[in-house]
Amino acid sequence: MTLDSALRATEILLALAFLQQCAEHMAGSPRDRLLFLPRALLCLLLLADLQTSLVLGALALHSLIVLHRYAGPYNGGSDRMGLLTLYCLCLAHILPPGIGRETAFGYLGLQVILSYFISGQVKVANTSWRSGQALRDVFAFSAYPISENLRVLADRTHLLWVVSWAVMLFELAFPLSLLHPAALILALIVAALFHLANACLFGLNRFVWFWLAAYPSILWLQGRITPL
Amino acid sequence: MLKTLALILPVVIPSWRFFQTVEPSPRVQWAQLHGHGTPEWQEFRPRPQAVTPLHCLLRLFWNPAWNDTLFLVSCAERIQQRPTDHSITEIRRRVRAHLADDLPNAVLQFRLIFIQREQTQGDGTPHDGGGLTQHVVFLSAPFRATKETLK
Repeated sequence: MTLDSALRATEILLALAFLQQCAEHMAGSPRDRLLFLPRALLCLLLLADLQTSLVLGALALHSLIVLHRYAGPYNGGSDRMGLLTLYCLCLAHILPPGIGRETAFGYLGLQVILSYFISGQVKVANTSWRSGQALRDVFAFSAYPISENLRVLADRTHLLWVVSWAVMLFELAFPLSLLHPAALILALIVAALFHLANACLFGLNRFVWFWLAAYPSILWLQGRITPL
Repeated sequence: MLKTLALILPVVIPSWRFFQTVEPSPRVQWAQLHGHGTPEWQEFRPRPQAVTPLHCLLRLFWNPAWNDTLFLVSCAERIQQRPTDHSITEIRRRVRAHLADDLPNAVLQFRLIFIQREQTQGDGTPHDGGGLTQHVVFLSAPFRATKETLK
């Protein structure tokens, strides 16, 4: 994947992810409609590839208003990944072609890797995760399960132990997928399914779209650092 | 400027420590105040008993109510750490708007309870398999249920 095609793929996927987010906000209160209308319009321009550098700059400035409005990200990690992708794209467009541009976009790829690896690292260091208790607690009393019926999964001790270890080992092993293009594609498919499961069980739908939007960066990075 | 920097830094240098530990989990509850008797607390936006696979799929594309509920979880966690007018207002605004039609002009109050695994070990860390406990960590000032205005 060339840098230009990866950048364009990221722009399109990010615009679609932001549009999904804007649609949800604009269905809410009048002031949220007012706040997210500019982002939605800018995303349409981004999709159309019109004045992309200016549009990305405007989206970045607008993101500051949104961050102030909610005193931080509205939806935690998913918003953070969306904004990180936006800022990296913005820098990649501002910087002249060459090492600066590649570093800005490569940083996004690096953060995708870290988002899995660090997440696995902090879990495996925790005895509650290693015993399966943490995942049982997520289902038993956390605010995330989307229905009461899902809480009965907290009693599936052996299943949740297996799932806990599967998640931790996948997250920890994710960086190894950079060693081969086929391994990376397989890892990204598994990761996307993981986000899909989180969306179905915990309603974290925005993670799916924002992480997908960042995947072109890691596909490009893999080709850049390990050319076959 | 400093505040903007404080908002941007966690985005540019994220920590990615998802679910490092399962922290005490907040619930927003509301009650109508009558001036007599004990308030009957009810969960705000209780989760449904079940969600069909089709709805799970649709929620991938359209999930505004749940995402807003997750934002309230963030607000509740912020209030637990350090109460701010912003987080209190965000919760109050939603409770007020939600009940404005059913209980017009009623005097309401919301509270935050946190559910957690019983802390039974000497070092205060949760004991695997212990029971669940809940604590009230915040009680709002009374307010009236009214329609939201754009401001």
